[in-house]
Amino acid sequence: MKYRLLGGLAVSALAAALAGPAVAFEGLSVSAGDCDYGGKLLSIEATAEHEVVFTMCKPDPAFEAKAAFTPFGIQPSEHIASAGVDGSIIENPIGTGPFSLESWNRGDSVILAANEDYWGGAPAFDQLVIRWNSEGAGRLNELLSGQVDQITNLSPDDFATVQNNPDLQFLPVANPNVMYLAMTNTFEPFNDVRVRQAIAMGIDRERIVNNFYPEGSQVPGYFTPCSLPNGCEGDPWYDFDPEAAKALLAEAGFPDGFDTAIYYRDVFRGYLPEPGVVAVELQTQLRDNLGINAEVVVMESGEFIDESTSGRLDGFYMLGWGADYPHVTNFLDYHFTRGTVQFGDAFPEIYESLLEASTIADAETAAPLYATANNAIRELVPMVPIAHGASASAALATLEGAHFRPFGAPRFEVDNPGKSTLVFMQNAEPISLYCADETDGESLAVCQQITETLLQYGLDSGETEPALATDCSANEDSTVWTCTLREGVTFHDGSAFDADDVVASWAAGIDASNPAHVGNTGSFDYYAYLWDGFMNVE
Amino acid sequence: MSTLGRASASVSEVIAEEGLLGDPVPLWKRAWGRLLRKRSGQVGLIMITTLILIAIFAPLIAPYGPEDVLIGVEDVSRREAPCVHILGCDSSRPQHLMGVDGNFRDAFSRVVYGTRVSLMIGLTTVTAALFFGVLLGSIAGYFGGLLDNLIMRVMDVILGFPSLLLAIAIVAVLGPGIQNALLAISIVTLPAYARVTRASVLSVKELDFVAATRVLGGSKWRILFRRILPNALTPIVVLATLGIATAILDAAGLSFLGLGAQPPTPEWGTMLGSERNQIFSAPHLVFFPGIAIMITVLGFNLLGDGLRDALDPRLNS
Repeated sequence: MKYRLLGGLAVSALAAALAGPAVAFEGLSVSAGDCDYGGKLLSIEATAEHEVVFTMCKPDPAFEAKAAFTPFGIQPSEHIASAGVDGSIIENPIGTGPFSLESWNRGDSVILAANEDYWGGAPAFDQLVIRWNSEGAGRLNELLSGQVDQITNLSPDDFATVQNNPDLQFLPVANPNVMYLAMTNTFEPFNDVRVRQAIAMGIDRERIVNNFYPEGSQVPGYFTPCSLPNGCEGDPWYDFDPEAAKALLAEAGFPDGFDTAIYYRDVFRGYLPEPGVVAVELQTQLRDNLGINAEVVVMESGEFIDESTSGRLDGFYMLGWGADYPHVTNFLDYHFTRGTVQFGDAFPEIYESLLEASTIADAETAAPLYATANNAIRELVPMVPIAHGASASAALATLEGAHFRPFGAPRFEVDNPGKSTLVFMQNAEPISLYCADETDGESLAVCQQITETLLQYGLDSGETEPALATDCSANEDSTVWTCTLREGVTFHDGSAFDADDVVASWAAGIDASNPAHVGNTGSFDYYAYLWDGFMNVE
Repeated sequence: MSTLGRASASVSEVIAEEGLLGDPVPLWKRAWGRLLRKRSGQVGLIMITTLILIAIFAPLIAPYGPEDVLIGVEDVSRREAPCVHILGCDSSRPQHLMGVDGNFRDAFSRVVYGTRVSLMIGLTTVTAALFFGVLLGSIAGYFGGLLDNLIMRVMDVILGFPSLLLAIAIVAVLGPGIQNALLAISIVTLPAYARVTRASVLSVKELDFVAATRVLGGSKWRILFRRILPNALTPIVVLATLGIATAILDAAGLSFLGLGAQPPTPEWGTMLGSERNQIFSAPHLVFFPGIAIMITVLGFNLLGDGLRDALDPRLNS
């Protein structure tokens, strides 16, 4: 038996006998050694040229949904070993996708060329140009003038403009999301559950959704949107009752309210299309309904995310979440599981049920546990869910096949602009093009056109479809997932795609000791978060 | 001569009694007369007076409070266009002269109350900058030497930065808010007053009447503040009037960037900034605050120009 090294680990090579009698396949693998590190992944092995086995430390029913997520895109193992190590991969991705990177003109655009050899069929046009503009009015203006073919994040006030314009297409985006008003329970007076409950009852969420969100938005009954299985188990949220809220606040020792702040970032998101306007409305409601004087404070986006997710904001803050993959764990576990500090000290009443539920594959079996968790969230009020926002994209009427998927960016290879170039305009410039180490949606949208994952989300749902894997199936208790890979696929550099590329790409993200675990910032957030931590952390 | 026999009488008393220069008219009275005769001065004065009256009587002029949210109060839609009954708007609809903003507030009421905020910003910042600028400039000009060098080099350093950029940097350090914005604008405008004051003091302090006071034993501070400064004020007054316009513009710029007045304060720059994305769908929400800023700045500029002409000694004849 031969052995190969990957990521500084002793890695077992896999016997040729598994691959066939003629050529011995020497597959890569990466392993944590054991499950003591607390993560979900024990090992990833290339068991044959076109077969990869993921062995889990505990059952993960959401494996397929996660494996379809863009950060788990596959690049050639040789490219990972060179560009991944020296860091140049962040500007030079190589994938198997329908488009290859032609140039990234910083501050202006990313130019992608159609992949004539794409396994799913060559796109109907030659070039995809991705541009950006942070202003909603600016994006719409570009679309109206025909400079771009499709824009993202249409401003709610422009919905009617687009719907009434015969030259444009209105494309609703069905991405499940939630906007919430959070409080950190390690700061006074939010350490008193009565204060948090009073705020939960004292905000007229219906007034906010009806007046400040586009049509199709909903008042949340639960933190998780009901379109996700088990999202809406348990008791629904409090009704608006300012009298009861005032009484509860008085009981907590604040009959005249208190002074605090509402922090937010001025960034357009589907769950919060107009942050400033909603902040002022919340400020007004807190003052009028509860006597709370809240100063509105705008923060720089990066600083706001750092401060809020680290539990360092001493007032209210407005944040939200758009689903990365279609599973309730993406909402509840990310926000409320053990170790999260976003709302202060995590509540065992919430996370104990979540931890148990996350290992159960059958949604019906897990339902009572999610009901317990949702009831605990309602009782302890770490935040107040304000809205499930409706959002939309817009395209020229001439763009055939225009769409916007519930999960992920559009798959432009199915579009036909009727000309050689399709221009897409999004909110912002990508941060980097190595999305194993990115969380930013604008980066993921570009990466998705270049690199592909084992599975992919459908055009109109969160159901997964085959992509680089023709099939991923689990053993009985969902602890071993075997993925059969698509044959005959080549990367943009001409190299053939095989199981080693899958192992090398995943290893760079999940294995902290891997030489290619460099990335853009080195945080590889989605690997750490979706698989409960890195392997081989020293 | 009779004057020789009355040694204790002051020179000016003697001149007045003898009628040597005819009927004396005080400088400021003559300047005021000239200001009223200048077209730019007249227009500027009318505009500023009107703005001051609007600011004082805002609660009587504005039909709503600046923070009144009309949800459930009136049947209005968000960012509704202006509805003026005499211009044909259906009389069954509530009248909103400048429309309704993104938070269901009457835009006209907010623009009216915004006059108070903008005038307060202009006057406060200029007063602060004027006080410290004149003080430092006077000391530098009168005492000279090392003190002059020290003060003016610090002023030069401040002048070395583009004013709005420096103001942004100061607010970024101190944190957003109207008070910090006022402080920042005062700091960045201060050197202009210091320089002009120093130049005036330098020219006035060499005049004979200053020398005479010195000979008569007047103290340095008395000479500076009682003799020199009153005679060096003319260019400073003009600069201050024009400076109010600049201060209002800078404050609006800071607020537009989210660094000045914070919501729900009805400040014109904040109003512009919060609705900038609606420039195509609700242009009235950026148009009216923009016009208000323009009128105020124009008013102070015209008044400043008129004052400069009125106070120009070359026009005395």
